[in-house]
Amino acid sequence: MNRLLASACLLPLLASPALAQTLTVAVAADVRSINPGVNRDDNTDDFALQIVEGLVGYDEGGIVQPLLASKVETSQDGKTYTFTLREGVKFHNGAELTAADVVWSWNRYMDPKTDWRCLSEFDGRGGLKVEAVEAPDARTVVMKINQPNALFLDSLARTDCAMAGVTHRDSVKADGSWDKPIGTGPFKFGEWKRAEYFTMTAFDGYVSPKNDGKPDGYVGSKRPLLKEVKFLIVKDPATVKAGLTSGAIQLSEVLASDVEEIRKIPSLAVATAPTATRHVLLIQTRDAVTGNLKLRKAIAAALDMEEIVATASNGLGKPNNSPIYTRSAYFGEAQKQGHRYDPAAAKKLLAEAGYKGEKITILANKRPTVPSFPAAVVVQAMLQAAGINAEIEVIDWATQLDRYNKGNYQMQSFSFSARFDPALAFEQFAGPKDKQPRKIWDNPEAQAKIDRLTAIADKAERQKLVDELHKAVIDEVPLIFMYNGVDAIAHSKSLSGFQPWQSKLRMWEVTLAK
Amino acid sequence: MLRFALTRVAMALPTLLIVAISVFVLIRLIPGDPASLMLGDLATPASIADLRARLGLDQSLPVQFGIWFGNLLRGDLGISINTQQPILPLVLSRFWISAQIVLVAVFLASLVAVPAGVIAAWRQDSQLDLALVALATLLLSIPTFWLGLLLLLFFGLKLGWLPVVGYVSLGDDPWRGALYLIMPILTLFLHEIGVLLRMARASTLEVLRLDYITHARAKGLSEMAVLWRHAFKNAFGPTWTLIGLVLGNLLGGIAVVETVFTIPGLGRLLVDAIFARDYPVIQGCMLLVAFTYVLVNLVIDLCYPIFDPRVTAQ
Repeated sequence: MNRLLASACLLPLLASPALAQTLTVAVAADVRSINPGVNRDDNTDDFALQIVEGLVGYDEGGIVQPLLASKVETSQDGKTYTFTLREGVKFHNGAELTAADVVWSWNRYMDPKTDWRCLSEFDGRGGLKVEAVEAPDARTVVMKINQPNALFLDSLARTDCAMAGVTHRDSVKADGSWDKPIGTGPFKFGEWKRAEYFTMTAFDGYVSPKNDGKPDGYVGSKRPLLKEVKFLIVKDPATVKAGLTSGAIQLSEVLASDVEEIRKIPSLAVATAPTATRHVLLIQTRDAVTGNLKLRKAIAAALDMEEIVATASNGLGKPNNSPIYTRSAYFGEAQKQGHRYDPAAAKKLLAEAGYKGEKITILANKRPTVPSFPAAVVVQAMLQAAGINAEIEVIDWATQLDRYNKGNYQMQSFSFSARFDPALAFEQFAGPKDKQPRKIWDNPEAQAKIDRLTAIADKAERQKLVDELHKAVIDEVPLIFMYNGVDAIAHSKSLSGFQPWQSKLRMWEVTLAK
Repeated sequence: MLRFALTRVAMALPTLLIVAISVFVLIRLIPGDPASLMLGDLATPASIADLRARLGLDQSLPVQFGIWFGNLLRGDLGISINTQQPILPLVLSRFWISAQIVLVAVFLASLVAVPAGVIAAWRQDSQLDLALVALATLLLSIPTFWLGLLLLLFFGLKLGWLPVVGYVSLGDDPWRGALYLIMPILTLFLHEIGVLLRMARASTLEVLRLDYITHARAKGLSEMAVLWRHAFKNAFGPTWTLIGLVLGNLLGGIAVVETVFTIPGLGRLLVDAIFARDYPVIQGCMLLVAFTYVLVNLVIDLCYPIFDPRVTAQ
């Protein structure tokens, strides 16, 4: 009996949060692998990029800046890039970073056996080919590409490519198979218990690009101030809320619909920030009904974007009809000019389009992490109010993606993943439908401008192209951009220094009060 | 008995073959492609084609089936598309986690529900009977995810007695591991009480109306002797069958409970695999589920003679 009583008394102690300075973060899914850029998803990239770093990375505004490099020089012909490495950077095993390590790491990525997700971006299949990577001395890396390409550095910095993060050769076993990431990032790989959790620990020998305590994308101050971070896999949002309330979890992304309720809990705070993710309505321009430009314009005029966004984002988002996200350096006055809500014009356009009440189906999915379904519901109501016979077909994400890839739909409530550079933002949905049925906007003239946007680096000239392309998207309505995603991160008030950014849970510069 | 058991095992083989073929074909009839899902909206036709080729998805369905079935006969269930893990150890490890919860919950529920059902039948229409039936109906009516959340809020948040999130394997730390299993077991335990109590009551009521019970009472036997020695043994058969069915069902996946309590069990693995179109994992899980179902019901059948000797005679 005494033992039972003692056990009962111990229960609360065992259930309480772990040691201070060990931060427990809830994530909805496990990582797919611990091999950066190989068998990855956003969650996997997020973890990998706390451990490894590339030569260059994105800053807060999505502009590429040096990271492991202290400077990057481009040759006159735009085909040779020279990276000078920062001094004193060390790998997690204590070895100093040298240019030879960068070359070894690059060659491993480019080996087809590695299965790097971005191999086709650099081997010439996508136009860009890295022809040579050399290390003329211990601190200099030279990369030569086949043709001038304004997106080369951007491609190197891409998070889905794991930033081409440099790993030490001890990351692979003697037989050449992958072991674990030994990088130069602020955190070292800790432990991975599949389907349960993964951890990382502070790297004491980390050399931060800056030390002013201000995070700036992947390139600012990145001091690891927490001893350990444990990412716990918790799928159910209700369980996440319970975990946050109990203190067992100190940080987690939460649903927009939960933000208000969580803000009322005294021990918790919620940080929100817009992302480069774009929530859109896709319209099939080759469909017998939605192929009619006047009908598409009528659809755009029938939508009260303020109301759609307020409902779908629970008041957290703001309308943005542009493919360019609101915090981009390319988001200007032109991008603020979007569709105008005008029910009378919508009815007039419908009459001019010869619309006879044909059914228009909007595909949507019910994943809690995207506003596909709630946005579709409001859109449907507005279209019906304008006299359009709109219906919603709810399908699972795999089926929706399959139909997106095949172009098999009339309308879809969809979300595009983040694209920082405007050329990539337009390329994501523009292109020839005959070759790629997933493309939404098939306009050769626009395509020529996107190709030009890809090739040039001059900011003013690029801005002019971006403005023209934005106007064309608004005029032709091949799709309707509604708003940018919003990160909603709930965290304990004992935690400080965390700033949401592009759905990445950056753990540097974060501290936890004891 | 041995012959009976061997015959039943042999009969399971065609069942498993049908399951294997059905799952293989049906999962591929659902729209969606694992390669597209892995690459998302960033995919290009070239990258999708590359990945499909690497995963062997570019081959014809009969060829894919032939390769998979050939490997299956050698005991190799393949590799997960998503995690690149070998499937047999993966599904077995996840199955063991679910099985710990299910076996304990059903065992405890049986210990409570069966006597309670018998007593409710014995005192039919009394206040006790009404209370037990009402309780059983209530427990049966509450969805497990909601019941789980209520327990989580009460024992985890309000009282702070039990951990709210996470999982520790019993092998790593038996004491802490047990703490993490209490609430999922309690959830299933409460739900299954509702199922089993109603069956135990109904079958006991049926038996209590038979002539031989009247005869036993007329002989002057005590009520306890009538109830437990004469009524219970005959009334337990249907409940025993139901226990087998319940076990078979639950061992096949308790995804909802596992999701609420962050338990990395077989149910969650299967649901995740379906959403990710991870064909080899779905096939592996379904085969294991079918095999478990057959095995559990075989054990149930083999135990029948303990309660009803006529089964052996037949």
